[in-house]
Amino acid sequence: MGDLIANLSLGFGTVFGLIPVDIPGLGVVPIPLNILLCFVGCLVGTLVGVLPGVGPVASIAMLLPITFKFDPTGALIMLAGIYYGAQYGGSTTAILVNIPGEATSVVTTLDGHQMARRGRAGVALGIAAIGSFFAGCVATVFIAAVGAPLTKLALIFGPAEYFSLMVMGLVFAVVLARGSILRAIAMILVGILLSTVGTDLETGQERMTFGMQFLSDGIDFAVLAMGLFGVAEILRNLDHTEVRDVVQQAIGRLLPNRQDMRDSAMPILRGTFIGGILGILPGNGAVLGPFASYTVEKKLAKDPRRFGQGAIEGVAGPESANNAGAQTSFIPLLTLGIPPNAVMALMVGAMTIHGIVPGPQVMTKNPNLFWGMIASMWVGNLMLLIINLPLIGVWVRLLKVPYRLMFPAILMFCSIGIYSINSLPTDVFFIALFGLIGYALIKFGFEPAPLLLGFVLGKLMEENLRRALIISRGDMMTFIERPVSAVLLLVAIVMLTLALLPSIRSRREEVFVED
Amino acid sequence: MQAGASSSPPHGPVRGPQSLVSGLVLIALAVFAIWLTSDLPQGTLRAMGPAMLPRWLAVGVGLCGVALVAAGLLRHGSQLENFTLRGPLVVGVAIVCFGLTIRGYALGPVQVPQLGLIVAGPLAIFISGFATPEARFRELLILALALTAFCMALFGDLLNLPIPMYPQALADLYPAGWSSDGRLRATAALLALGALAIFLATHRRRTGREPIDVVPDEHAGTV
Repeated sequence: MGDLIANLSLGFGTVFGLIPVDIPGLGVVPIPLNILLCFVGCLVGTLVGVLPGVGPVASIAMLLPITFKFDPTGALIMLAGIYYGAQYGGSTTAILVNIPGEATSVVTTLDGHQMARRGRAGVALGIAAIGSFFAGCVATVFIAAVGAPLTKLALIFGPAEYFSLMVMGLVFAVVLARGSILRAIAMILVGILLSTVGTDLETGQERMTFGMQFLSDGIDFAVLAMGLFGVAEILRNLDHTEVRDVVQQAIGRLLPNRQDMRDSAMPILRGTFIGGILGILPGNGAVLGPFASYTVEKKLAKDPRRFGQGAIEGVAGPESANNAGAQTSFIPLLTLGIPPNAVMALMVGAMTIHGIVPGPQVMTKNPNLFWGMIASMWVGNLMLLIINLPLIGVWVRLLKVPYRLMFPAILMFCSIGIYSINSLPTDVFFIALFGLIGYALIKFGFEPAPLLLGFVLGKLMEENLRRALIISRGDMMTFIERPVSAVLLLVAIVMLTLALLPSIRSRREEVFVED
Repeated sequence: MQAGASSSPPHGPVRGPQSLVSGLVLIALAVFAIWLTSDLPQGTLRAMGPAMLPRWLAVGVGLCGVALVAAGLLRHGSQLENFTLRGPLVVGVAIVCFGLTIRGYALGPVQVPQLGLIVAGPLAIFISGFATPEARFRELLILALALTAFCMALFGDLLNLPIPMYPQALADLYPAGWSSDGRLRATAALLALGALAIFLATHRRRTGREPIDVVPDEHAGTV
C-alpha cells in the first residue's frame, strides 16, 4: 500500500512537474510541460477522433509525428492523451451522428443516438464523460496496484510461455472478431505472414523482399496501420453516398439530473468492473467490454424494452466499460511487453522511436516514465471531462463539415504523418498500396483488425517460438510440458472450441450483428 | 462460373460467390508466398531456418482459402460487393503524387527535383478531392492552399519536423538576410493569403449561397 502511494506520487510528480523549456524571446522558463502535453494530446485526439470514420488507430498513427519533438515521457503522456481523446471523440460521433469511430463505440450508437434524437444528446455526452472519468479513476488505481506484481509474473515467463500467451491472445482475437471465424483465422495468418517479410533476425537472410532494399527491414507497422485503417476506411466511405445523420435537435443540458445519476450509478460501476477485467486479456479483450456491459444491463433492467429507445443505462455502462478497458489494455504492454491490440502496438512503435523497449524492465529502468504515464491516465480523463463538455458545440460544428472536404485533409495528414516518421517516400506509396488492399479485404468480407494484430504479434511469436525450440532442442512437447504454457494453450483451445459450438456460434453472431 | 455474377439466387455450382473469390485470393497468396520462400532453407525444429515459419503460415492461409472455396460451392452466401474504381484510383494517384514530389528522389535514371510540401500538399488534396463525384473545383482549391499553409506552420515551424517544405529555387527568391524560419512563415502566409483571395474573389459573385445550418449552442450556460 505504501509502495502504491509512493509510486503514484512519483507519477503525479512527473506529470505536474515543472520543466525548464527554452521559449524564444523569453529565455528558459520552467513550465508544467507534461500537463500541457497531456492537455494538447486530449484536445487534438478528440478533434481527430470526432471526424467520422477516423478511429483511435488512425488518429494515433496520424498524430504520432507531433510527439517526436518531446522527450519520451512527455511524448508518451501526449500519446496516451491522444488515445483517450480519440476514444472520447469516437463516442461523441456515435451519439451525435450514429457513426461509431471504432468497434468499441458501436454499442453507444444504440441508445446514445436515440437519446440524442429525443433531445437528450447533452445528457448522453455528459453521462459518457462522467462514466468514463469514474472508470478511468478506478482503472488508474487498478493498474498502479497490479502493475508491479504482474511485472514479477514476467520473470517466470520463458519463451514457451510467451509464445503460448500470444497464441491465446490471437485465439481471443479470432473469437472476438466480427464475422466468420474462418475468415478471422485467415486474416491472422496473413498478418503473421506479413510480419515475416524482411531480414530474418537469426540467419540474416532476406525473406520475401523481392530484393528491394526498403523491404529488408520489414513492413513498418505504422504504414500498415495507416493504410488499412486510414486510407481503406476513406475508400470505403467514398462508396456510400453520404447520409450523415447529424442530430438536428438541440444538444440540451449537459449535466444529468438526479434521476439520471441514480439510474446510471450501478451501470457505471458494473461497466467499469467488466471493462477493466476484459481489457487485461491479450487479443483485444477491451472490444468485448461494451458489448458485455450492454448485455448485462439489458438483462438486469426491469424493463428491457427501453433499451434501443434511449435508455441512459445503455450509454453509461458501455461507455464506462469502454474507457476502463482502454486503460487496462495498457497492462499487458507495460508488464509483459505484449501489445494486446492495434492501439497498443502503435504505442510500442512510439516507444521504440523514443528508444524505449516495452516490457517489464520499463518499470525499473524508467520509473518516471512508467508511473508518469499511469498518473497521466487519470489526468487525461479529468481533462476530457473539463475540456470536452464545454467544447461540444465545436465538435458539432466539425461534424457538419462535408466529407468531400474532410477526406482530402485526412489523406494529407496521413501522408505527412507517415513521411515524417522515416522520411521515406516509399512509406507514402505503401499506405496507398495497403489502403487498396484493405479496401479489397473489406469488399471480400474480411476484417482488417485481426490481420493487424497478427502482424503485431508475429515477430515476437517467431522469436519466442525459435528460442523455446532451441531450449527444448527441437521438442514441440515443451509447450505442453511446461505447466503455465500448457494452461494458456488449454484456455485457447477451450475458447476456440466453445466459439465453434453451434449454439454459441449463433449467440456470437447475434451479439456482433447489433451494429 | 458465371453463375455467381447474377444478382438472383444462383443456380449454378457457385452458391456463395464472395466466399469463393476470397478463398481463391487466399490460395493465390499462399502459393505466391511459398514460391517466394522456395529458395530459402527451412531448417529443423531445433534450428529453424528463415523459410520455416512463412511456409507453414502460407500453408495455413492456403487451407483457409480451400475451406472458403468449399464453403462458396456448398453453402449459400453473400454476393460480391460492388466495386467502384474511381475512389481507389484517384486516392491512390493522389498519395503517389505526394510521395513523388515531397522530396528529391532518384527514380531509376530520372532525378526528380525536390519540390517539397508546397507542391506535394496542394497536389495531394486537389487530386484526391476528385475521388468523389461531389468534388467542387473552387472549394478544393481553397482547401488545398489553406491546409498546406496550416501544415507548413504546424509541422515546419512549430514542430520542426524534417519535411522538405519548398524547392531551393523558391527559397532563393527571398532576401538573402532572411532566416529559414522567416522564409517558411512568409511562404505559409502567402499561401494562406492566396486561399483567402480566392475565397473573397469568388465569394462576391455567388449571392445565393446556401445558409450554413448549425445546431444552436443551447447548452451554453447550462454547464
